[in-house]
Amino acid sequence: MINSMIIGKYVPGRSLIHRLDPRTKLLMMFFYVFIVFLANNVWTYTLLTLFTLSLLLLSKIPFSFIVKGFKPILWVIVFTLLLHVLMTKEGNMLFQFGWIEIYDKGVQQGFFISLRFLLLIAITTLLTLTTTPIEVTDGMEKLLAPFKRWNMPVHELALMMSISLRFIPTLMEETEKIIKAQAARGVDFSSGPFSERMKAMTSLLIPLFISAFKRAEELAIAMEVRGYRGGEGRTKWRQLTWSYLDTLFMLSLISLSILLWLLRS
Amino acid sequence: MRKMNIRALVLIGVFSAISYLLMLLNFPLPPFPNFLLVDFSDVPALIAALLCGPLAGVFVELLKNVLNYFMVGSPTGVPVGHIANFMAGITFILPTYYVYHKTKSKKGMLAGLVIGTVVMAVMMSILNYYVFLPAYTIFLGAPAMSAPETRALVVSAILPFNAVKGAMITIVFMLVFVRLHQWLQKQVATNHA
Repeated sequence: MINSMIIGKYVPGRSLIHRLDPRTKLLMMFFYVFIVFLANNVWTYTLLTLFTLSLLLLSKIPFSFIVKGFKPILWVIVFTLLLHVLMTKEGNMLFQFGWIEIYDKGVQQGFFISLRFLLLIAITTLLTLTTTPIEVTDGMEKLLAPFKRWNMPVHELALMMSISLRFIPTLMEETEKIIKAQAARGVDFSSGPFSERMKAMTSLLIPLFISAFKRAEELAIAMEVRGYRGGEGRTKWRQLTWSYLDTLFMLSLISLSILLWLLRS
Repeated sequence: MRKMNIRALVLIGVFSAISYLLMLLNFPLPPFPNFLLVDFSDVPALIAALLCGPLAGVFVELLKNVLNYFMVGSPTGVPVGHIANFMAGITFILPTYYVYHKTKSKKGMLAGLVIGTVVMAVMMSILNYYVFLPAYTIFLGAPAMSAPETRALVVSAILPFNAVKGAMITIVFMLVFVRLHQWLQKQVATNHA
């Protein structure tokens, strides 16, 4: 639990997908969300599923991790599937039992829509499983760089995000310390009437805010002393490098979209 | 905007981290459907707004959702819920901030929080009706709900839920604010000196 709060769902590895530039992964995920809607028949869905499965296999992430991502939403998918199967009254009737009538169009429709949803979740989970939050931050800063022209504070946003990521574990520890300190003074966090728990919450929040504020002040002074003057001309320790692999993956996504466009009915 | 104060920058970063952590401690409210969750992550956003201006509050709301999306992920793949949370956050803290700013008193803050709750509940009902529920239909492939069905869900679940959530945040924030307001005023004064 604590670990998942700090590094998210990232699973360390050296697979092809892990080594891709975060920009490639972000762009691919972004376009994938649109491409999914191109598929509308057996051929296009098969193609899309094969493409997604090969990405999952290339990532070398145990399948159980991806399946875990499906769990919270599983009943929605089953419900959707059943609803489409039972409610669509088009095409040829396959089965009849009392008031239950099942048509082939309904089965197809329900199956396609559930599949589309599963594919969407699989791809977005794959990104968080193979990319560290700090890589995502770097990638987003680079991708959004053109928007600087319209005064969007891209560098500032990325900096704030990295500061956040740096402070999440620190503040977690701080929170635990405060909870223990207040419990020692007799504050009950886990039980008691609603109003008491609200008050317990404040005995955690106030010290947390004050200490966070002090940490922020110290960091701001330290940055000022070291001459931080914004993103202009700043150099980076970790450089993003675009390799032939990235070009290859982007090309594969483009060819996938063209094929889907040609094969859709 | 280009020359954002370093103090504000760092403060927004640190308060987004608190906001992110508080967002993880979310819980459902029994009578409402379980995709509606209460958390107190708007409290640090509002404190950041009081310390460094309304834009700081908006940034905290934005960053907490971006962090949550990339670290925890979204059960629907596409971050519809995160966008909804962001909209709920800013429609709550911005009215509160501006109403409080007129009077700068404890009563003004209470009035601000109540108005913030009302604005948030109403805006979220409208946005859910026109944007978020249809978006869920598109991405989940759930069969489209008819207009009266959607309206029933909004009126029976979304509107009262946001009102209750706003009221809970109001109570916690007032308890915090009563003890913190002198300290807050001192910090704002030294920041502008």
